Amino acid sequence: MKLRTTKYIVKEGLINTYRNILMSLASVGIVTASMIVLGLFLIISINLSHNTQILKEQPQMQVFCNPELDDEQVKDIEKAIKNDTRVKKYTYVSKKEALEKAKQMLGEDQDVIEGLGEDFLPVSFIIELNNLKEAKDVVSSLKAIEGVGNVRYSQEQIDIVLKIATWVQIGNVTLIIILLIVAMFIISNTIKLTVFARRKEISIMKYIGATDWFIRWPFIVEGVIIGLVGAAIGFVVISIIYGLVSNRITGALNIISMVSLGQFQFVVTYTFALVGIVIGAMGSAISIRKYLHV
Amino acid sequence: MVEFRSVTKEYPNGTVALKDVNINIAKGDFVFIVGPSGSGKSTMLKLILKEEDPTLGEVYVNGYNVSALKRKEIPYLRRSLGVVFQDFRLLPNKTVYENVAFALQITEALPREIRRQVPMSLALVGLSKKANMYPGQLSGGEQQRVALARALVNNPALLIADEPTGNLDPETSWEIMKLLSEVNCRGTTVIVATHEKSIVDSMKKRVIAIDKGSIVRDQEKGQYGDEIKNYQIYS
Repeated sequence: MKLRTTKYIVKEGLINTYRNILMSLASVGIVTASMIVLGLFLIISINLSHNTQILKEQPQMQVFCNPELDDEQVKDIEKAIKNDTRVKKYTYVSKKEALEKAKQMLGEDQDVIEGLGEDFLPVSFIIELNNLKEAKDVVSSLKAIEGVGNVRYSQEQIDIVLKIATWVQIGNVTLIIILLIVAMFIISNTIKLTVFARRKEISIMKYIGATDWFIRWPFIVEGVIIGLVGAAIGFVVISIIYGLVSNRITGALNIISMVSLGQFQFVVTYTFALVGIVIGAMGSAISIRKYLHV
Repeated sequence: MVEFRSVTKEYPNGTVALKDVNINIAKGDFVFIVGPSGSGKSTMLKLILKEEDPTLGEVYVNGYNVSALKRKEIPYLRRSLGVVFQDFRLLPNKTVYENVAFALQITEALPREIRRQVPMSLALVGLSKKANMYPGQLSGGEQQRVALARALVNNPALLIADEPTGNLDPETSWEIMKLLSEVNCRGTTVIVATHEKSIVDSMKKRVIAIDKGSIVRDQEKGQYGDEIKNYQIYS
């Protein structure tokens, strides 16, 4: 396509959008609303997978010895673990290491445990199993070992969280698709008004030998403009909301780690731009099909 | 230039608009197609423009086998011929100049080409002074001349006029006919579908009379004639 034709097409698209300004604005509003919801779901999805990833990286099973045990007794426990065929691998965590870890987790608040000695935290073993299905049996047999204070097993919780996460993601995707289809049809309806108002013009153009694409492009440009403007407004709104909300959530709930805005800005920007363009273009393509057959 | 080879057109609702029609229009001809409403005149023009496809037979226009043309190729066929309609079909929110230029714009012509061709075409129909007016500000005759300028701007070898004077008073009708005749003198083949008995009779051009889908007369220097009515009585 030649440059002057492109110019003509963009100009016509802009004129179309402007002539129909009220309907165009209404469509932009709908696209914005859909994009905000899309953005929310997208952000929830990103945060969910971020958090489940963190959960997955945490140790599956940890055996804590009673703090007052001496080294010999700890060695006995180690031996018991070592001889258990169901254990694939285990790591010894000394009192010192445990304290370091605790300090690290507390970060700025580490002065809380400043005065406490190494004895404050118990020795523990991080255990990896051959087969997760045996987890329950292993937990009960480990608990039976003399000197073992507590066995923390988080896999079950992780599984539940993962299961919930999967369902939330599926729900998200379904809702997003429905919303986008709705937005597309609303754009298509707006374009239909323009096409209808210009149907005579379209037929004249066909009679004097305009190709289908020459006629179609300006309407697609109109759709894309609506889609992109809606996406841009939606993006700004989402960014502001997320900036405000994410700090509060992180402040209120320590267990959730929120992904920072900068980390996914690119993904969201591209997704929004792409979705805006696609629903705009498809919306207008739907509405002009009928009028091109002269 | 235009050839119908045993063309039959039956519309989906069962109306047979053309029955085994054979026509051959040579380059440089000026042809009137006459006949009462519903006789098949418009269908003939629609077949030439490939607005409709023949049920049987073949149509050739400007070297294109129209009946075999793909949908994608239709625009190129239409660019090779100029069309004028009874209702002018000008774009109301474009000026006279822009309306004519538009026919070149869609063919992606060079701006230089557009700047040269449009004034020439407007001069030909005598509307150079009204180039910046809108169709709504012009009389019917002037609007039809703009349509003619648009049809001629890319120098088509064939000009088709569908009742070009149908909406005009007798005097303006004559002006348009004179213009068409002039265009024909420059070598363009002209096909005019019309009802106007007086014009057909005095122009002494080739006349193809059609009734109920069949050619009833094809005569050089013909007249509108009244055998169309007679034909109806005989049949």
